[in-house]
Amino acid sequence: MKTVTRIIALLFIVSLPVSAQDSPYQKAMKKEIAAVLHTDSLPQLQRSANAFARIAELNPTEWQPAYYQALACTFQSFNKTLALDKKDEVLAMADELIKKADALSPGNAEIITMQAFVTIAKLSADPAGRGQSLSGVAMQTLGKSMAIDSKNPRTLVLTAQMEFGMAQFFGSGTEKACGLAKQSLAIFSAQDEEALKAALLPTWGKNQAEGLVGKCK
Amino acid sequence: MKATFTIIILLISNLTFAQTKVSGKVTDAKGNGLPGVNVYLKGTYDGTSTDSQGAYAFETEEKGAQLLTVQALGFKTQDLALQCEGKALTADVKLAERINVLTAVTITAGAMEASDEKKSVVLKPLDIVTTSGAMGDITAALLTLPGTSTVGNDGRLFVRGGDASETAIFIDGMQVGNAFGSTASNVPTRTRFSPNLFKGSFFSTGGYSAEYGQALSSALALNTLDLPLRNQGDLSVMTPGGGYTQTLTGKTQALTASANYYNLAPYQSMIKQHFDWEQAPESWDSEISLRRKWGNAAKSSAGMLKAYFHTEGNRMAIWQKIPGDDGRGDRVQLRNNYAYGNVSFRQSNGEGWLLYGGAAFSHNKDAWKLNLDPMRQVTTLAHAKMVAVKDFSPRFSLKNGVEWYIKGYSEELTGQNLRRDFTDHQLNHFVEGSYYFSNRLVMVGGLRTGYSSLARQAWADPRFSMAYKFENEGQVSFAAGQFHQLADEKTRIHDPGLKNTSATHYILNYFIVSNNRTLRAEAFYKDYNHLVTWQGTAIRPENIARNGSGYASGFDLFYRDKKTFKSIDFWITYSFVDSKRQFAAFASRVQPSFAPKHNGSVVAKHFVGRMKSQLGLSWSWNSGYPYNDPNLPGEMQRKTGIYSDLSLSWSYLPRPNVIIHAACSNVLGRSNVFGYRYAAQPDETGSYASLPVGQGARRFAFIGLFITLSKDKNANQLNNL
Repeated sequence: MKTVTRIIALLFIVSLPVSAQDSPYQKAMKKEIAAVLHTDSLPQLQRSANAFARIAELNPTEWQPAYYQALACTFQSFNKTLALDKKDEVLAMADELIKKADALSPGNAEIITMQAFVTIAKLSADPAGRGQSLSGVAMQTLGKSMAIDSKNPRTLVLTAQMEFGMAQFFGSGTEKACGLAKQSLAIFSAQDEEALKAALLPTWGKNQAEGLVGKCK
Repeated sequence: MKATFTIIILLISNLTFAQTKVSGKVTDAKGNGLPGVNVYLKGTYDGTSTDSQGAYAFETEEKGAQLLTVQALGFKTQDLALQCEGKALTADVKLAERINVLTAVTITAGAMEASDEKKSVVLKPLDIVTTSGAMGDITAALLTLPGTSTVGNDGRLFVRGGDASETAIFIDGMQVGNAFGSTASNVPTRTRFSPNLFKGSFFSTGGYSAEYGQALSSALALNTLDLPLRNQGDLSVMTPGGGYTQTLTGKTQALTASANYYNLAPYQSMIKQHFDWEQAPESWDSEISLRRKWGNAAKSSAGMLKAYFHTEGNRMAIWQKIPGDDGRGDRVQLRNNYAYGNVSFRQSNGEGWLLYGGAAFSHNKDAWKLNLDPMRQVTTLAHAKMVAVKDFSPRFSLKNGVEWYIKGYSEELTGQNLRRDFTDHQLNHFVEGSYYFSNRLVMVGGLRTGYSSLARQAWADPRFSMAYKFENEGQVSFAAGQFHQLADEKTRIHDPGLKNTSATHYILNYFIVSNNRTLRAEAFYKDYNHLVTWQGTAIRPENIARNGSGYASGFDLFYRDKKTFKSIDFWITYSFVDSKRQFAAFASRVQPSFAPKHNGSVVAKHFVGRMKSQLGLSWSWNSGYPYNDPNLPGEMQRKTGIYSDLSLSWSYLPRPNVIIHAACSNVLGRSNVFGYRYAAQPDETGSYASLPVGQGARRFAFIGLFITLSKDKNANQLNNL
């Protein structure tokens, strides 16, 4: 019996590099990541969130499933047809998922940035009621992420967005915000997106950076 | 060996053959289809989400016994055993809702919360600071809420026909003694604590939890900030004074220290005052607050420790005219020293246990000089508390707590070496269970028992409340309870054995929040018994007894709207109180001076982005204060004219970290009268001379500059709220 196991193990080891095929985990992740990044549809985002939950259950040591499920939840909250308490419900779920991801991969700038993104989503859900209290929290979280990785294009673009909003509010110059947005876009353009996708690492945010840079002109 | 291998190959290939199709419908308990439900075979990638009708279908290559998992937000996850054999399977699933305390119904009878996290709130913590006319006073902001009465010559919190001593105030669960500044009679006071300290508050106008006692009318629980965001320094320069606050934060701990100084003399030298001040109010205060948290609430045990110390000093000297006398009147001089400290903790263990409690100490010393006679009054309050809460299931939780109070009071005529005092030990126990029948229906029952060593009396107060949420989000709740309270210290000193006064509350409430609009309507009935009565004057009462009784009944309305008008947030309240009681020196049941019949307020905040400003307006109104005219037969026969005060404010943010705030109360310049004082003896014509009790000045104007210094250039003093 021992030999059987050994042979099977060997078979796998041999076959892996030869076929260079994705594991079921990678296959499922890639499919859902693509779905999340190419839709605005609420049911599709819900389906993808569910799919990530299924993947997470089978791969309890990976942080990406929880991360992307949180992303799918956060994208849902930007849907205009959703009532405030439903938005808060999905964002509370996103909070839980980020805690889970953070426990699996502590000090990860991507996860901390995601946390800031959830805060920004909460703020966007009720800007008049939450702007004052949450803008500080968002900036602080982004600062934390920036301290770990100052070249993360998502951290940069979210910071740029916050700075842009505040500069507009106070009628001050948008130079700082625009500088950050351009820096972010440059990093997005320079990176090897396919390699990141293959490694299941986040790639979202380029559209936001392009939009913001467009506004800066 | 070879055979085994072949078998394995066969088994594996076998799996790729016959697929099993699983389909069905997921519904809630009522049979409505649930969209977006996660349906999958446990331990596989095979699964799907339900469509808008709750239907689902997917195929799997798995064989044999499988577990179908059905998962949806707000519902209990359900597992279903399936046998996959290549034939199509149908599995319809009915999901049961999960009790979720965060979204479930909450009891709103009597309660008004200011919170960022909870749903059934009427205010956000920020509202307390930004309410026009409040001038940064917590109480003044609460006076724009239903169930309260503005008593302009007092400044404290009067709730539903109750006097100010009937409201108990807590910080982080620990009681505060002398929460309002000491002052001369008919000179309004303020809360001692800065609203910037508090993250949330719970204000109950009746029917509250068994956790609170020794208050006949109301409980106000204030919760301090947890961890502030960043290191920052806050500088404030205001017309009446200024101060500085420094906040230092670490990952799990924070320290805030502040010092303030106020002196109204420069202001009063410029603006005409109706009061005859010899020395304008002058005060200093300092505060230290420490916070430390530990553990991870998401995983297992977590806790937090908070310590808060506040100390202050005040002085003033005022001349108060005597009715029927042409002179300057009595000279009242007051020097007040006050200290409050508390240490509180909370610890959860992740297995449904929550422990919290703490210890607090208040010390208030008033050194008076009435003309030439010096007098000293010292009030102390020590409070220790320990509470354990156990969630036996998501439906049922039980709270159990013990409290020990030591209340002390002494007064001394320092010139004559006359002194008297008392010390009272009170032991309390409370138990309260809450049970959720569903996310829509909750019931809470509690019992509070107590014993006072000085009164030699034991008492038991049952409390009950329930709430039901309708389909359309509106909810109705009911609360009832019994409440006991010993007389205030200045009465007790004359008769230390005096036993409890009591009240019974019944409250019915309707509450709905929908689409940035909030409506709250409440009706109440309060029955007072064993109220303290005496003969003679309050300073020298005779024949002290508990022969008084009375009632207060009425209703109030609150409507808040952030939606109808663009960038305007406003609320309107109306409170009707019908109250009569026999108390103090009254021989019959009368409408108390502090219980105007009709009360109303309008608060509006308009944000003007272009001007980087928030404009505020608040108007409060009541139908007049009853007063006693000794020239007429009977008691409390007359009523003052209506009270009305329109305040305006303007907050301007020239830079993200700078706030300029300007405010003016009573802009219309009304001469509000709160009652009349009468001469103790009739004059030659046989009538009692009178003097109106009015405002210290026609208006109060305030300008303040608030600067926040921190690394984050965009931070300001409001960010922490």
